[in-house]
Parts: sequence; structure tokens; C-alpha cells
Amino acid sequence: MLSLNLKRALLESRLPVPPTFLLPWAASLTTVSHTTGAGNVPPPLLNTVQQVSAEEQAAGSVTRKAQTPKPKRVDPTTTLARSATVAGTERPTTPSTLFSSPVAPLSESVRDLLPLLQAQGSHYITAHIHDRPYLITQGDTVRLPFFMKDAEPGDVLRLNKATNIGSRDYTLKASAPAPKLKSATTTTRMVLDPTTGSLESHSRVMPATSLDSNTAGASAAMAVAPHFIPHIAKGKVSYLDERLFVCRAVVMGMESEPMRMKEKTKRRNRKIKTVRSKHRYTVLKIKEVRIRGVEEIEGGGELA
Amino acid sequence: MSLTTPSVRFFRITLLRSAIGLPKRTAGVLAALGLHKRLRTVYHPVTQDVAGQIFAVKELVDVQEVDQKLSDGQMRELRRPGPGFWVEKRVGQQAQEEVERT
Repeated sequence: MLSLNLKRALLESRLPVPPTFLLPWAASLTTVSHTTGAGNVPPPLLNTVQQVSAEEQAAGSVTRKAQTPKPKRVDPTTTLARSATVAGTERPTTPSTLFSSPVAPLSESVRDLLPLLQAQGSHYITAHIHDRPYLITQGDTVRLPFFMKDAEPGDVLRLNKATNIGSRDYTLKASAPAPKLKSATTTTRMVLDPTTGSLESHSRVMPATSLDSNTAGASAAMAVAPHFIPHIAKGKVSYLDERLFVCRAVVMGMESEPMRMKEKTKRRNRKIKTVRSKHRYTVLKIKEVRIRGVEEIEGGGELA
Repeated sequence: MSLTTPSVRFFRITLLRSAIGLPKRTAGVLAALGLHKRLRTVYHPVTQDVAGQIFAVKELVDVQEVDQKLSDGQMRELRRPGPGFWVEKRVGQQAQEEVERT
């Protein structure tokens, strides 16, 4: 059974290009057979990947609204190794605090523009609870479309997955999702017909064996997981660095809808079965949406 | 680079195209592989039998050769998103702490 630790480490890797199984899927699968071999990326695609991976050293960009945005990047999402607890809703233990005492540096753009964003009066945040986005600000009351069983009224939740934080003039965005990489079976090498007059010469290169790729791991060059799991990656969103913000919500209580009756029957059948539904929903009140300062982040301040 | 070969390799087979309208034999092969719905994924060891089955439905599936076999539960766990929050303070714990202090 995959432990939560392994799963989180896999899914929230800090690699420049995340493992392939995180990446969007549908178009990359095919029934056309190709030379098998994990980790072979066509030269044009490989160049693109390397370019993007160089840009995506961080996961975020602060853009100023009403101007042509210059996409800049911030640090990738901190890898969290959550202790295997009930529903994973206990305090996560960050390996960054365990291994590296100096925290990963912020990028230039964030260091420059974060104070400006912070100085503005009101902020909003797009926080993700169970991968569903909620655009919230301080003081909002959010009725979630589900019922949190283990949340009592008065519990304080710390929301740590966000894609956007903004104010009137600035927005801090998470980095764009990694580029679609194809599965091993769909990658081929281009072979250009020399008679067309193209000066480029491409030869059909046999792909590296899957064993080599597997042992190489998810290296930046090959950018292939030991095991490409395409549909796991479908719809994956990249999040902001958690150190950048603090977002707290209080559980206010529970609401329930009016009782709904659904009658189930078939034609020419007098028996009518009635199903009653009365769903419950958890209500949260957002009590804090705060952006942390550069010193606070780089000093490695905990909580608060 | 390790030169040791893992002992068992697996085919990771994903059904991409339905067998509706195809001969029943083809649908039977998919059922034997465990692929009852589109976009489902199954793991089978690399053997001649399985390779033959895949060859029979090669136009409908995407196949990869992997080292690790994942169960349905494991795949579901990988698919499940994180909760996106953690509980900082529980009311019950607070009350307990207060009781312990007093």
C-alpha cells in the first residue's frame, strides 16, 4: 500500500519537471504502437522541456495588473511529508525544516513585488479544499458542498493549497502546469526525409532502455517517472508555495438542506418507493488571509 | 546505473477504445484482461500469454512496461487529491488542556 508519505513526495516533488505521472493525459495516449522505451523524448520536445524546466525553477509569478505581465517564477511548492493520520488533516511535518536549515530562496520577482502586494489593503485568495477552488477573502462565510465529519464548530483550519493570491493591483499566481509529456510508448524520433532539402539531419535513435530510465529516476533530463501514470495526472493543478501566505478558517457549524423526496417507480407499476435526502454542509468563516513578508519567509518562521 | 534486472516486469494496460461493434472475441479478450470500461487500467505480468492477449486488442489499448504493479486501491490513492487544509486547533483538545491545567 502506498504510504501517504510516498504519495505526497511523488505528487509534490520539487523537480524542475515533475514526474510524468503528474502530467495531463488524454491526448498523450495512443493505440499506435511505437518503439517501446521509457524516457525517450523527441529532440524538439526535449528542448522545450529543458527550456520550460529552466524557467520553472519556481512555482509562481507575481504579475501586476493593468500592465503587460512579465511571467516570473517563484519557488516550487514545498514538499510536504505528511504523517499518516486520519484523512491527513493533522499538522504536516515539512522535510525542509528537517534537512535544510536555510529555506529555499524566493525568486527575484517575488522578493521585489511581494512587499507591494502585501502593502495593499485587502487580499483575496483562491484556496483549494479537496482540489476544489474557493475564491475567498477575510470575513467570508463559505458553505462547503460537503460535510466535514471530523470538524467540530470552533475548530480552526489552516488552508494551505492556493493557486492565486491577489489584491487590487497585484496577483501572485502559481506556475503554469508542466508541459504535456507523452508516455513512453507514444514518443518517437523524427526522421526527416533527406530528399526534401532540409539541412537538418536527424537520425532514428533507438530510445534508451526502460531500465536505464528507471534507474535514472525522474531526472531533469529525462523527466519521466519510473512509471508513467497518465490518468493520475489528469487535471493536476500546481499550487503556490505555502510559506507565502497564511489562511485560516473557523468551522462555524453545519447546515442542512430542506428534506428532499425522490419518488422512484416504473410505468404500470403501482409500487412507489420514496427516497429521502437531507444533505449536510459544513460552514466555514475565513478569519485570516495574510501574506507573509519576505523576511518572515526567508527567516523560516513557523506558523503565525 | 544499475545493471540488475528486476525479477518481474508488468504490462500496464489502459483501454482507450471501446469494443462496441467489434466481434465478441475481442470483447472477450478485454474482459479476460479485466478491462470492462474505457480508460480503466490493469497490470499484468509480462508473459507470452498476456502479450498474445494484448496483441489481439492492440488497436484498443495503450501499453507500457513497468516494474511496479499497482492495485486499484493504490491507484485510487494516487488519484485522490490532498485535503488542502489541516486542523490547527480543535475545540475538544482545548477543553481537555484546560481541564488538565485546572
